[in-house]
Amino acid sequence: MTTVVVGASSGLGRALAAELAARRHDLLLVASGARDLAALAADLGLRYGVEVRTLALDLAREVDPGARLLGALDEATSIDALVLAVGVSQAGDDFALDGAAIGELVAVNLHAPLAIVHALLPRLRAARGSVVLVGSVAAVRGRRRNVVYAACKRALVSLYESLRQAHAPGDLRVQLYEPGFLATNLTWGMALPFAAVAPQRAARRIVKGLRRGSGRHFLPRGYALLAWLLRLLPWGLYRRLRQ
Amino acid sequence: MRGFALAEMALRSFDRQFGARCRVQRPDRYRLLDALRPDVRRIARGGGVSYVGASFGAGVISQDLGAFDRLLAFDGERGLLEVEAGATIGAVQRFALSHGWYLPVTPGHPRATIGGCIAADVHGKNPARDGTFRRQVEAFELHSPSCGKLVASANAHADLFAASFAGFGLTGLIVCARLRLARPPASLILRRVPVRDLAEAADVLLEAANARLLYGWHDGRAAAFGRGVIQIGLAGDASQGRSRRARASRDLPGQLRPWPLCAWHRSTIAAANTWLGARWRRPGQAPIDLAEALFPLNRARGYFAAFGPGGMDEAQWLIPHARFDAFAEALREEVARRRPRITLMASKLFAGPATDLAFDGHGIALAIQLAAPREAAQAGFLEALAELAIGHGGRPNLVKDSSLTAATVRRAMPAFEAARARLATHNPGGLYGSELSRRLAL
Repeated sequence: MTTVVVGASSGLGRALAAELAARRHDLLLVASGARDLAALAADLGLRYGVEVRTLALDLAREVDPGARLLGALDEATSIDALVLAVGVSQAGDDFALDGAAIGELVAVNLHAPLAIVHALLPRLRAARGSVVLVGSVAAVRGRRRNVVYAACKRALVSLYESLRQAHAPGDLRVQLYEPGFLATNLTWGMALPFAAVAPQRAARRIVKGLRRGSGRHFLPRGYALLAWLLRLLPWGLYRRLRQ
Repeated sequence: MRGFALAEMALRSFDRQFGARCRVQRPDRYRLLDALRPDVRRIARGGGVSYVGASFGAGVISQDLGAFDRLLAFDGERGLLEVEAGATIGAVQRFALSHGWYLPVTPGHPRATIGGCIAADVHGKNPARDGTFRRQVEAFELHSPSCGKLVASANAHADLFAASFAGFGLTGLIVCARLRLARPPASLILRRVPVRDLAEAADVLLEAANARLLYGWHDGRAAAFGRGVIQIGLAGDASQGRSRRARASRDLPGQLRPWPLCAWHRSTIAAANTWLGARWRRPGQAPIDLAEALFPLNRARGYFAAFGPGGMDEAQWLIPHARFDAFAEALREEVARRRPRITLMASKLFAGPATDLAFDGHGIALAIQLAAPREAAQAGFLEALAELAIGHGGRPNLVKDSSLTAATVRRAMPAFEAARARLATHNPGGLYGSELSRRLAL
């Protein structure tokens, strides 16, 4: 059984790869930097004795990332889980981006997860496996910042619902995690209203829940209350929020 | 660009003598290692456990290599391990020991990184036998705006390779290194030899020069100056038993929260020395776990935290054999006269070449830790100690002692200017800098 981690070279994806390797999952790691992937694969292989394959893929420019992933897997390889920890934000994502920049954000945050899920779905179903999507609390309600990023992450909620509606719980587990602030390079140096969660801690929770049923979760759990309050907030008040 | 973001952070040296608000980049991908503008002053930062502010400085961007902590390749037949520079020595030792190897030259703090160990050319538990860290490094990859990306070794870019040991990170960003491991003994027996004074300690150290571990602990109080014990780690066979210690100590944190006030006063120092004396100053031997013996600081959390917000200073001088007894006697008199608050003295034997700015040479090194080094009486003792040491041909450890000035170092190291000039050729425009390099005018 192999677990596929997309966006594995840094942040939450790297922490997930390490946590999965520590639990003896063989891995296919996908990210853009070939050297970063090679380093991570070597490290996990040496520490945990698992088989780690890599695929360097620039998701911002790859037309069919799903096909590339399938090409990297042997026909006989069974996939027990697909973890889509991919995500990128950009300064200026407050209605100041040009079309090319918007295209890159959509390609990484939405097109890649959609294409990869579509390509790997038959093999995941065959193994009665799991799809783990990583959204964001930024998608709870649209704001003046992270406009494109949040729109893509909101679309993942729709993908999560589609997958769940289309598959019986016994055929495919579908999990959507919506993290708040993670202590990764996305938040490095930022003044945050809440403490950032270590990606290792988030990864432990995700991997621990991998064999549980389908569901939608906030990371950490306290964000569920925040999201609920944010959704309840009258529009007139919400509009005035600056953060 | 992702990862190019800079966080402003308050950084402090391990001895708490220097602090600054600094900008910190934390690259998490290889391409981001070279993302800073080529004219931006910078310095690599590993575990941040340097005693003297070697990984930060005012107006300098610290490049935190915490994400570059991976094991890259391991040859279990030949004992070769390739690791990224941000890997901690504690993690590397755990991996090596679990595969039947170890690094003989290991600093006391497990959070020191491989890059930091190279930059400081640290010594281990018996430098007379094992040399300094450079002896176990085959090659490393270095990045800098002036020389690009290169692999340096004794055969390629040899001058840069040599200058980077005790080069304090000023020759460029060390990215990864290939290390030569050694076979650990099947078991380790720690023999204790009590000594009356430093002169007797020197004799015992010389007699045990080939031991796996060799260091002395000494009382620094005037009334019992130099009294202590030499710890001699001897290789044993598998039948000679295991340590009774059931659980491995946790790694000492990189940043210790100091107690609100300094707890090291004459009375507490006396109590601690009396307790240590009763526990250790008895002849005998017992098995000890090698992993525990390599990182004695793991069991010294309270000791360091007790220095309080004012921190401590560790003066470390290497005195030639021929002058050591005279130095020890003069130091005893100085301590009797000034009665400084010395919390700990440690002795080690050295037998390597005194290269450039490295802490090596032939002689006995004496490390002296003091509480509240900014108090006038304590600072006065440190000045007197430096004068005494220089008068007896002593060589200072630049990466331990925050009280050293450029003028003192120039007097103590005859080759200082030549070493400084050599470093400068690999650091054009002073692009790499730190609090340490500012203070010592490197």
